[in-house]
Amino acid sequence: MSAAARAVDVWKVYGSGEAQVIALRGVNLEVERGKFTAIMGPSGSGKSTLMHCLAGLDSVTRGEVAVGDTRVTGLSDAGLTRLRREKVGFIFQQFNLLPTLTAEENITLPLAISGRKPDKAWYDTVIQTVGLGDRLGHRPSQLSGGQQQRVACARALVSRPEVIFADEPTGNLDSRSGADILGFLRRSVSEFGQTIVMVTHDANAASYADRVIFLADGRIVDEIENPTAEAVLDKIKSLDTLAVSEDRVEVAE
Amino acid sequence: MIKASLRGLLQRKLRLALAVIAIVLSVGFLSGSIVLGDTLNARFAGLFSTINENVAVQVTAKDPDAAEPARLSQADLDRLSRVDGVAQASGDVSAEGVIPFRTDTGKAVTAQVGLAAGVDSRGDTLGLVELREGAWPARADEVVLSANTAKLAKAQRGTQLKVFVPQLGEARTYTVSGIAGFAGGRDSLAGETLVMFELKHAQELFYGTTGVYASASFGAASGVSQDELKKRIERELPSGFKAQTGKEATEEASNALGDSFGIFTIILSAFAGVAAFVGIFLIYNTFNIIVAQRSRELALLRAMGASWGQVIRAVLLEALVVGGFGATLGLGFGIAVGVGAEALLSNMLGVDLPSGGVVVSMWAVLWSYVVGLIVTMIAAFIPAVKASMVPPIAAMRETVRPDKSLLGLSITGGAFLVPGAGLVALALTGIGSATTLVLAGGVVLVFLGVALLSPLLAKPVVRLLGWLLGRGQAGKLGVRNALRNPRRTAVTAAALMIGVTLITTAATVAQSFKSSIEDIVGQNTGVDIMILGPNTGPPNGEIGFNPAALDEVKKLPGVTDTAAWHITIEAAIAGTPAFISAADVPTAKRMWQMQEVGGQLRTLGAQEMVVDDNMAEASRWKAGDQVTVGIGQTSKKYTIVGIYKRTPTLQGPILGLPAVDDFAGKLAYQGFVSLDDGADVAGTVAKVEDIMSDYPGVTVGDMSSFARQQSQAFDVLVNAITILLGVALLIALLGIINTLLLSIVERTRELGLVRAVGLSRGGVVRMVGVESVLISVFGCLLGVTLGVGLGAAFVKALIDLDFMSKFALPWANLAVYVGAALVFGVVAALWPARRAAKLNVLEAIAYE
Repeated sequence: MSAAARAVDVWKVYGSGEAQVIALRGVNLEVERGKFTAIMGPSGSGKSTLMHCLAGLDSVTRGEVAVGDTRVTGLSDAGLTRLRREKVGFIFQQFNLLPTLTAEENITLPLAISGRKPDKAWYDTVIQTVGLGDRLGHRPSQLSGGQQQRVACARALVSRPEVIFADEPTGNLDSRSGADILGFLRRSVSEFGQTIVMVTHDANAASYADRVIFLADGRIVDEIENPTAEAVLDKIKSLDTLAVSEDRVEVAE
Repeated sequence: MIKASLRGLLQRKLRLALAVIAIVLSVGFLSGSIVLGDTLNARFAGLFSTINENVAVQVTAKDPDAAEPARLSQADLDRLSRVDGVAQASGDVSAEGVIPFRTDTGKAVTAQVGLAAGVDSRGDTLGLVELREGAWPARADEVVLSANTAKLAKAQRGTQLKVFVPQLGEARTYTVSGIAGFAGGRDSLAGETLVMFELKHAQELFYGTTGVYASASFGAASGVSQDELKKRIERELPSGFKAQTGKEATEEASNALGDSFGIFTIILSAFAGVAAFVGIFLIYNTFNIIVAQRSRELALLRAMGASWGQVIRAVLLEALVVGGFGATLGLGFGIAVGVGAEALLSNMLGVDLPSGGVVVSMWAVLWSYVVGLIVTMIAAFIPAVKASMVPPIAAMRETVRPDKSLLGLSITGGAFLVPGAGLVALALTGIGSATTLVLAGGVVLVFLGVALLSPLLAKPVVRLLGWLLGRGQAGKLGVRNALRNPRRTAVTAAALMIGVTLITTAATVAQSFKSSIEDIVGQNTGVDIMILGPNTGPPNGEIGFNPAALDEVKKLPGVTDTAAWHITIEAAIAGTPAFISAADVPTAKRMWQMQEVGGQLRTLGAQEMVVDDNMAEASRWKAGDQVTVGIGQTSKKYTIVGIYKRTPTLQGPILGLPAVDDFAGKLAYQGFVSLDDGADVAGTVAKVEDIMSDYPGVTVGDMSSFARQQSQAFDVLVNAITILLGVALLIALLGIINTLLLSIVERTRELGLVRAVGLSRGGVVRMVGVESVLISVFGCLLGVTLGVGLGAAFVKALIDLDFMSKFALPWANLAVYVGAALVFGVVAALWPARRAAKLNVLEAIAYE
């Protein structure tokens, strides 16, 4: 079985000359289908850049990216649009929803945009899993941060994408709401076989994943299978002792 | 604080750019019309100083408009020319309305002014007119033409030329004995025609006797100043005359002309005012949106100790800078527009004015800044106050702007609308000279009222329109966006509403006029053919046709009745300016089926009149009352002998034919012809046309062609109004673009999000396009509704006054307006939608 997403010798360079910043230095990664993969690393390690490149939100300078059997590198805007409709789901750190739409309309937005009908049974399952039954008619401004993020998760799931990319999904939430979201993501991998790639800097969040990839200075430096929070924390501590190079980069924080 | 706000201004210069353009356009329109008026004035002043170049002193009648104006005799002229210091003397014999016919087509030459003068064998001793070829007229049947006249009439030396002379009431044929030009090699002074007759013949034609002059001009011997010569001539002046220096005469003439350009400038300025009013909406929206987007920054300033007064001042300072900048550019733009318009106008009118620089008066500069600054300050005031009310705590938290209730706004709207409608109603019932101001004030209040109420209307109307237009998910998102901030949508739409309202009002009134006319034509009044006087000037008896020509018409087969209608607007009834007719009442009664309401509709003698019932009622007149009637300079008591029922075609005071003696001339302005049933209408029209061919500008037509002609005139009027409102519409278009652009900046992250979940670039374009079209169509519908309402109010008032008989909706126009609004919306969306679609998805999502 092929990987759900793949990066082959991916380089990402911003700017040129003196101002040149190298965000990714030859990253190779295979995201396993039906698994929950976490990407960790200190600020400027390139973790967000890697995710954006994998998702086709950002272009790579060298190397190749694919989602499923679709080669992302070199796709036109129309091709990228099709990719987002059919293969990819997103959950962002904050501001995930359209304020003009109700929770339900936000959830079905990707389907409506691509002109598809939601699969009734699957839709009900998703709604039930995220536990929003009585809030579906509400506008985002009437929902708490945790509820909003659950709507965002449901939206990502409902179109059953090849991969869901989650960028610090619990970054803006209190620990309880965060735990709810992480539990929900975990279940959608375990019970429904969804593939998820999550960027986080929180060791506890990473412990929900099947596999944790550690990035530093634009390179994959380590990984852990079936992590615990303690194991992740230990790993981070050992990485902290490594020198962090000067060319750090801030992306999408 | 000041530094902070100015720096903020520079950072947002792109967002303010459209506000600046709006100011530039409205100020440019205003200063352009002032510059145009001033420049034309200066051009004509230049023309008059050319005319009076060699004139040191001019002697004219104190009261040239009197029924029997004083004339200079030959003896007076001779005596004055012997005054010490007079080098040349020239007696002036002249007339207007003398029109040559073209030798090729036989049609009257159409020029702005048809001048005539009398000259003797010495020609023009003051050197303005120079003979180019041939000889000055020596006999009564000879004329000399200015080169321009010869060109227009296709005449040359030796040509037999037909010339219409209003004093004769007919055309005569003359031999062209020579061609003349003006000093400096000009063919005309300002595009006019000039026919010069032999002096004695001219005196007889214009004044009824030889040896008299209307005025005289004198050249000074070297060393004698104009003032000195004036003093010396004044000692010898016959009674009833005054002396002016050449300089004074030039000033007087150009001031008189300046007044007529003044009206022109006022009309253009009114339209510029509408444009500025629309600009207020755009600028208000710009500042409002910018303040909303900056609320965190403003809160931070407040948290750091800025007082609310400082915040207000900071925002108003921005407005001041924007307004001043816009006004400066607008003034420059206006000067360019004024220059262009002057060239265009001179070209169109065929007026060959003396060239000279463009005139930018202090008024143009002053008004540019007053309007530019005031408009911006008014527009920025409410946003400034709003900015000051941002609490410091807003700096710390995500700003949540809940939907505010529209109740207060709507009540305020009602508070504007009701008195506004009241003022319009008051103005339409007529309250005297203040009517126009009251009307304008009322309409402005109605606009503000509806603008304030429109957010309330925006939701249901946009929802309905959205249901019709917002297909697909992208369309649906566009509808939601248009609905999310009803105030913003409404204010943007209201700017468009204003222009559309005014156009619709004009179209509605015009359509009602048109269908009223069709109604009248449809009714068989007994009049089958109408003869209409020329529209080259106001009717006063000097233009039109000789009523004797109707005797010939009456002899045509099938003609049963004819009536001549003399009209003058140089008249007053009981001191109020009035439009007065003179006609044979029994004939009119027969042909127009006049209904007697009081007194008797019989043949009127001298100083007898009939009036319509509305007039009688308004002035509380009854048969037998005496009323003062002024015609020209005469003033006489007239007895009302009858009162008739007013109709849209027949109204106002009608005097008896003897009154025509007091008119400026004896020409009839209109004529009516009745035919037998079954008579050949088209054939008779052609024959009447033939009889009338000697009278320049007189047209003949059956009732349906008359109706068609009137309809066309109304169409032209509505088109002219639409074009003049073009700037206001353009600003409204900018307003939509502006709102969309600012909204797109505000919703950058949302745009990133919808792209991330799969909306294509085309989808984003559709989304913005639908929002734009909804705003535009909503504004158009508001305008059409309000315009039809205002139009109906006007029409009702006009029906009450019997100026028209029915109300009609201009359906075709309304459909065109709504269609145009759709296109307008699409055009407005082009640029913003492109920008929205080109956003980088990742950057948009990360946008702070």
